[in-house]
Amino acid sequence: MSSIATEVAPRTTTTPESISQTPLRAPARRLRKGTEVSASLVEVCSVRLGENLYGVPITHILEIVGAARPQPVPLAPPFVGGLVSYRGDVLTTVSLRHLLGMEPKPGSQDILVLESVEGCYGLLVDSVSEVLTVSSADFESNPSILDQRRKALFAGAYKLKGSLLVMLDPERLDPIHLSASQAASS
Amino acid sequence: MNPLNGSKMDELTREFLIESQEGLDRMERCLTDLETNPQDTALLAEIFRSVHTIKGTTGFLGFKRLEKVAHAGENLLGLLRDGKLTANRQIITGLLQLLDRLRLILKCIETEESEGDGDDQTLIARLAELQAPAAPQPQPARAEPRTGASASASTPSSIAAPESQAIPQPAGSAASAQPAPQTSLEPELDPARTRSTAAESTLRVDVTLLNRMMNLVGELVLTRNQVLQATAADPKMTLLSRRLDMVTADLRESVMKARMQPVSNIFSKMPRIVRDLSQTLGRIVRLQVEGQETELDKSLLEAIKDPLTHAVRNSLDHGIEPPAVRQAAGKAPEGTLKLRASHEGSHVIIEVTDDGAGIDVEKIRAKAIERGMITVERAAHLSEREILQLIFLPGFSTAAAVTNVSGRGVGMDVVRTNVERIGGKVEIDSQPGRGTTLRLRIPLTLAIIPALIVRSRTQSFALPQGSLFELVHIPRSEDGVPDSSESRLTIEWMEGAPLYRLRGKLLPLVFLDRLLSPGVDASVANDRDNFIAVLDADGRRFGLVVDGLADPEEIVVKPLSSVLKDIGIFSGATVLGNADLALILDPGSIALKAGIDISKEDKNALEAAEAEEEFDAMRNQFLLVEAAGRRAAVHLADVLRIENVPLSRVEYIGYRPVLNFEGQLLPIEDSGGVLAAVEGNPEAKIIVVVCRDGQRQVGIAVSQVLDVAAGGDLFEAGTTVRTVGVTLLKERVTGMVDLSGVSPLPAEESATAEFSHAE
Repeated sequence: MSSIATEVAPRTTTTPESISQTPLRAPARRLRKGTEVSASLVEVCSVRLGENLYGVPITHILEIVGAARPQPVPLAPPFVGGLVSYRGDVLTTVSLRHLLGMEPKPGSQDILVLESVEGCYGLLVDSVSEVLTVSSADFESNPSILDQRRKALFAGAYKLKGSLLVMLDPERLDPIHLSASQAASS
Repeated sequence: MNPLNGSKMDELTREFLIESQEGLDRMERCLTDLETNPQDTALLAEIFRSVHTIKGTTGFLGFKRLEKVAHAGENLLGLLRDGKLTANRQIITGLLQLLDRLRLILKCIETEESEGDGDDQTLIARLAELQAPAAPQPQPARAEPRTGASASASTPSSIAAPESQAIPQPAGSAASAQPAPQTSLEPELDPARTRSTAAESTLRVDVTLLNRMMNLVGELVLTRNQVLQATAADPKMTLLSRRLDMVTADLRESVMKARMQPVSNIFSKMPRIVRDLSQTLGRIVRLQVEGQETELDKSLLEAIKDPLTHAVRNSLDHGIEPPAVRQAAGKAPEGTLKLRASHEGSHVIIEVTDDGAGIDVEKIRAKAIERGMITVERAAHLSEREILQLIFLPGFSTAAAVTNVSGRGVGMDVVRTNVERIGGKVEIDSQPGRGTTLRLRIPLTLAIIPALIVRSRTQSFALPQGSLFELVHIPRSEDGVPDSSESRLTIEWMEGAPLYRLRGKLLPLVFLDRLLSPGVDASVANDRDNFIAVLDADGRRFGLVVDGLADPEEIVVKPLSSVLKDIGIFSGATVLGNADLALILDPGSIALKAGIDISKEDKNALEAAEAEEEFDAMRNQFLLVEAAGRRAAVHLADVLRIENVPLSRVEYIGYRPVLNFEGQLLPIEDSGGVLAAVEGNPEAKIIVVVCRDGQRQVGIAVSQVLDVAAGGDLFEAGTTVRTVGVTLLKERVTGMVDLSGVSPLPAEESATAEFSHAE
């Protein structure tokens, strides 16, 4: 398996006013750890799970690893997707599909390497999509009708033209945090 | 005041800090040595030099506070060095206080980049006070105060010159003392010179850099594994792969060696600790240190520094008794604390031994019950050794009063946790009234271990070879029907637990696939190969049943996230030669999880095996005898006793000599003609070696019993066939006495027959 980051898709043809789609500038070994472009613009990496698009703030992302086949860990907590070899270390991955109650997907997946309490962990997604620049004006916090599980995982959403980009909070997806909250709830 | 004014200064300051810390460490060692050798000029010179060097550089760097304190110390040290004062306990305590203060200021500079605002007046006054003791001492001619920040030692002449006294002297004896022997300074310079040349052949390396090198080497090992696997089939690559293999192994060894440091690095702190503590606690303690040159990886050394310090404190506080108590118990008032480091295979053993009161097992038992740590019934079942282990439980302390030193109940469990975290073990041995030994067993190597790769249900796992005792291969049965021959996996069940009979001993089994997927039935299928890895984890022996075995590999242990470590059976992960990820199994945890105990049966079997070994060893021992000038050997195991009897005791049945022991007739074998040699002299003593031969006993008459020695096998030249009837004893070919060749007494058989008929 390779640990070379995947190229992000180039810009699309139609460009709605409030967002712009920027391709990665550098040959993608590492994502630019940018901060907010301006007071009201935020850069978000979008990831695809099934039909849906989710967003992760670019600030927490260390790297993107493509075409990964994690090694399953017997007896591990169910949200653990497995282990992958990453930069000489062994990376623990978290399965977003499991967290969202979706069926596991066969075949390889992409991994977002995120900062963690213990160093880093990997978030398993179907595929990593473009980096989007969104405006904080379009931000909506979690609606109250959201179920407990989703409320715990989602950190609001950005309104896109015709769709919603649900935001994920990397700190809440950290395996340490997940295991602690599991222990607390059980 | 912040003397730092730019990055160039930072570098200088950093160097200064490191050198000064080292100098102070040296000074500390010298000071504690000085207490036992107050006249040692080399020590005094060394101490003086440390402070003088610090003072010199401080002037240059502008650390005023440091300069003032160092100066005060230097005055006192100057007097000591010149022999005008003799170091006594108060002086040394004062100097240690000086050292602590200097350390404090240096630490302040390191962390806050300023010297701090402490008040040193009391210390400076104390140091001045010490320079003028009330006891009759030669009136010290006050040496000229040092001018400038010159780091070189002053010449003898300037010290001799009496100058105006900068420090007030009490009105003492008017005797004008001669200045100290000046010759001591000259040789001083030479040792300093030789020391620097030794220093030139070493290099100070940043620990981070070493760690990085270690990681890179780890990566190289993994890549080498992969290359070896990938090129195994290609004949052109074998030579290259082998070379790569050798170079990698060499490099790895070198990097690991670079990280090794002698334990003296931590042992050297102990004299001070022991001194201070024994003063505080009112004990008299002698510290003995052994094996200081034993080396250990730097990070492991760091990890055991605290546990060791705590163990020492414990020994002084709870182990060694106050002198009065010791004397009442018939012991010398001075207690001994011994620190010993040694190598044992792939481990370093560090022992802390005291000759104190030992650990009161009953007190521990009672305390544990009182604290609710164990039930009364369980407590009754525990052996003494197991009770001692209780002191490692968190929150355990039998100290009646929690002293400032130890007894807070947080000690021993932290010791164990810290040691186990680095893969080590802690053992404790105690004899009431005699003393206690704490033993730390630390692995030499980190991170790269030899492992066996096993498979369970298509997934590979790594088994550390350190725990692997044996491998048993149970081939599949042809017809799928299990039969009772030894080659089949015959499992015996005892109270629901599967056991396997291995050479007569029962081995508890753990099925890896069932362990990993608890709901699944263990596949004991006899239609495929089964493998049992016989593991031994701290005396817990069991067999791990797996589906397949792969080659052994040297693996680099990669840490697992704590979330996965909590599962309990994995101690890490690694990347295999075929680039797959494999989890590393932890035999100790698996044994615990499976509830495998150090079973009594095993213990008995173990003892029996040991006894057997001893017997086997004895089998190789011979009694060397001499009969009429010729040497012969008898298996020591067959010798029952040696009789020394007067010739008159020997009786004859026909022509056969026998000895009569209360109705038991012992035929005597006398091919050496021993009896004939003393014929006619009834008082002459003859030596008869009474031996066992099967069910009977025979006596061998000898002139002398020479020795007991181990025999060696002899082979006929050019063959591997052992020659019977001879053995190599003490470098000489020696014939073995053939006990079975001694014909039985004719009268005996009929006697027994008669006897049985008479029944």
